[in-house]
Amino acid sequence: MASPIRILTAVPICDGHDSAINTINLEFIRHGIEVIYLGYHRSVGDIVRAAIQEDVRAIGISSYNGGHIEFFAEVVDLLRKRGADYIKVFGGGGGTITHEDAAAMKRRGVEQIFFAGTSLDDMVKFVHQRYGKPREKRARAKTPDIELAQRLTEIEESRNAKVESRKQKKIENRKSKIENPKVIGFTGPGGAGKTTLIDELVLRFLNKDRQSRIAILSHDPSVIGEGALLGDRATMINSQDDRVFMRSMATRGQAGGLSPATHDCLALLAQSNFDHVIIETVGTGQEAMPFQQNGIVDLNVLVMNPDYGSRLQLQKIVMLDLADIVVVNKSDLQRARTAHSEIEQRLEQNRRAQRLIDTVAKRHRDSGVDGLFNLISGGERSHRVKARKKS
Amino acid sequence: MSKLGQVVEAVEKYNKFVLDQVKRARSDEKFGRELADRWNETKSKTPVTHTPTGLPLPRLALPEIDEPGEIARYLFGEGLPGEFPFLNGAYREMYLAESGNWTAETGKQNPKSEKSPSAAAENSKAEEPTRLFSGLMLAEDTNERFHFLSAHQRSKRLSTAFDGPTLYGIDSDADGVFGKIGEGGVAIDTVEDMVRLYDGFDLGSPIFSASMTISGPAPIIMAMYIAAAKRRFGPKVVPKLRGTIQADIFKEVQAQNETIFPIEASLRFLTDMVEFTTREMPRWYPISISGYHIGEAGSTPVQQAAYTLSNGFAYAEMFAARGIPVDQFGPLLSFFLDCGLDAEYIALSRVSRRIWAIGMRDAFGAGPRGQLFKLHTQTSGRSLIAAEFKNNLTRTAAELILAYMNATNSCHSNSADEPFTTPSEEWIRLAAHGQAILLEESGIFKHTMNMLSGSPGMKAVERAVEKAILDEFREIERLGGVLAAVEDRFQRSQIQNAAHRYEQQIYDGTRPIIGLNRYRNGSDDVPEVKLSRTPRKKQQLQVDRLAKFKKKNAEKAKRALDKVVAVVERGENCFPALLEAVEVCSLGQITGRLQEVVGRFRPMV
Repeated sequence: MASPIRILTAVPICDGHDSAINTINLEFIRHGIEVIYLGYHRSVGDIVRAAIQEDVRAIGISSYNGGHIEFFAEVVDLLRKRGADYIKVFGGGGGTITHEDAAAMKRRGVEQIFFAGTSLDDMVKFVHQRYGKPREKRARAKTPDIELAQRLTEIEESRNAKVESRKQKKIENRKSKIENPKVIGFTGPGGAGKTTLIDELVLRFLNKDRQSRIAILSHDPSVIGEGALLGDRATMINSQDDRVFMRSMATRGQAGGLSPATHDCLALLAQSNFDHVIIETVGTGQEAMPFQQNGIVDLNVLVMNPDYGSRLQLQKIVMLDLADIVVVNKSDLQRARTAHSEIEQRLEQNRRAQRLIDTVAKRHRDSGVDGLFNLISGGERSHRVKARKKS
Repeated sequence: MSKLGQVVEAVEKYNKFVLDQVKRARSDEKFGRELADRWNETKSKTPVTHTPTGLPLPRLALPEIDEPGEIARYLFGEGLPGEFPFLNGAYREMYLAESGNWTAETGKQNPKSEKSPSAAAENSKAEEPTRLFSGLMLAEDTNERFHFLSAHQRSKRLSTAFDGPTLYGIDSDADGVFGKIGEGGVAIDTVEDMVRLYDGFDLGSPIFSASMTISGPAPIIMAMYIAAAKRRFGPKVVPKLRGTIQADIFKEVQAQNETIFPIEASLRFLTDMVEFTTREMPRWYPISISGYHIGEAGSTPVQQAAYTLSNGFAYAEMFAARGIPVDQFGPLLSFFLDCGLDAEYIALSRVSRRIWAIGMRDAFGAGPRGQLFKLHTQTSGRSLIAAEFKNNLTRTAAELILAYMNATNSCHSNSADEPFTTPSEEWIRLAAHGQAILLEESGIFKHTMNMLSGSPGMKAVERAVEKAILDEFREIERLGGVLAAVEDRFQRSQIQNAAHRYEQQIYDGTRPIIGLNRYRNGSDDVPEVKLSRTPRKKQQLQVDRLAKFKKKNAEKAKRALDKVVAVVERGENCFPALLEAVEVCSLGQITGRLQEVVGRFRPMV
């Protein structure tokens, strides 16, 4: 079966009209399309960077606040400038985009503008017809990011890709390896705040070392038999940065919180020029232990919400045995203190040097997140960074 | 229990109180007789008016009941227009045509004599209920437009729309915003722009009021307005300033997405502003609690009312917690709702008015003026569609009738060409005339209060809507109150689900849309669209002016920003520092610096 079509959707800067795009996104994923949603109020640079990293077939822009002729054209121009004009641009804006505007936009390289009254069906058909065919062979990648993005696509589209896997590690009785890990895995139930926490950590990584580069591999579930809405980018404000390479993956039918291609993609990222690689699973259940089969991460972080229910529930959460660090996020909630002590007791049974940290990731400059950062950044720079500086 | 839980209890308790009064009126003969006497007196003192054909009609219609229990149910459960719990209207006469001596005859105090500034109906005798909405290109262009629009108005009631960069608190010279400067609203970067915007208008005059539709950076824009007024009229003008600023953070997070600081910081800056304006500017409405955008984003009517009311109660709780007396801020809260075509709209605002009054009285201890749900309604933009767009005239007309059946204090009717563009003059005129036809030409609303109120159908909708709103309150309360629910993105996801369901219903035809999925003739005509876009030259002018301002004030700006930061970090009210900062700093400089201290808003999807 052919891989699902991947497209990126976004709303331009200074525009918060996301009602139309939300509805369109849902319609796309119901028809087998994987949508990386970047959110509203997004700059040209953010959109183009994300489209390249995600290696999408096209960018759909929904604009209701004017200035669309310039904005769409700037996206097209920047794609061209970055050597990524294989990514196409389409969009709409209800009645705000006139036929004359649309003609001008098409002259500047926009593929299609949908007018008010276009049915969702027609938009889905357009995407399938225009972007559903296999890609033409692409010219040699012009930048390292493009090359990496395209190789990730190759892996995802064909699981036979010959990519060197990292050696599988044993996991039993593994000592907690907290200091200076390269690949950090985040897992935990949906709504615990994993994405926000990662975004806050990225901010600290970027600020600590002005040269460091971070990769993020983020997962969202595929709708059964259909597409997927990959929306983590939309809530990330610090990770839209040229020093962050982020890739969103759909689980494509695989249980356990990761995608069939995760392992190989992660291996590629780990070999690439990043100081840290962060991997985020989909929201997981009690039995999940997503990183264990392959030993693919150096450090396991479990992010919990204080509202996990009764103490008994804790006994059933397998990741509590396996995590190196357990984070109780949203520790400003009333139940957080109880949660902390219950989890602490639960971890003591394991007799491993597991760490328990309370955070409020939504809070600016949260001291808990600082603590977590200090723990996983090891307080000193990695060898990789030093090596690169010398060269 | 949060205040919202207390509101639910208060409404339940009040409903029980009404039933008790009904029983008492039936069992306690003396009480029953008193009620019947009052009822008969009200009826007999109601003046008679005459229609153009000479038909005599009472100026207040009341149900034909004479049984004390039913009278109690009406007087306590609904209240006469202008009486608690205000189901039938916030004021006694609303849109009735002028007549003799109603106030003198009934001996009641006429609420219109209370000089409170904004809500249109209060001042309808002195001021037109019309607000002239405009905002385009640069400040001087909007200013010219304001002068043109208000040239023949007794009162100058200006309503200001801002461009995208301003709404997001960023400057016209920011990366990637060229092209959006002055689009969809006026570009404001500095206090100098604000001076230009209202040039030639007497900001301290009792017949001038300014409305500003902006929320995210509202405290900074408010400070710019005050600073501009002081530059022109001296410091003594401040207590005289009249107007409204939207400043509704909750609905931005729930629906409209123009938030620039994290929620808690946004609410803190808002409260700083409200503390200042309610104390220093008693004629200024510092917040317009808005459901319109929630409805436009796709909520059901019940969600719209429930979220708007609960947002309102959350603001009230917050302001009270800051120590602002409820009778200082209560009368300065106002509301803004959507009116569409669904059956709920037959009584949505009536029920909202009642819940607000009971909640403010019984959960917040507000006095009579703080109990009033002062409402501006706008017909539904979302109900208007591009296909066979002239049908939109009929949609808007029906919505107007519903809005006035709900006794809204003021109303804006949308133009039929709204699905296409910023409305053109031709269709704006038709929309405005729709209101005049309804209120002035037709006899529906001008002769008799309650003309269309109280039908069995309306009562049925009232009961169903009230129950549904209280259920929403309980759900929000269960999630830990409004702020917790917002952070959990409860309202957002509910709104999105409703929006999607609505689209599905249109698609599968269970929601008929005439000309779109039913009776479509396929020959869509399109209005002649005349766009006013901001020429590049003008956009460049704005950028150049800003550069000049920044250069001129570079030294002072640094000190002013440091001071703002210090005040914010000390946890003090930052509004006075903002008032100083706007003299020498641009909007973007201030928001940028504040974001360094409190962070940026993390978007929700």
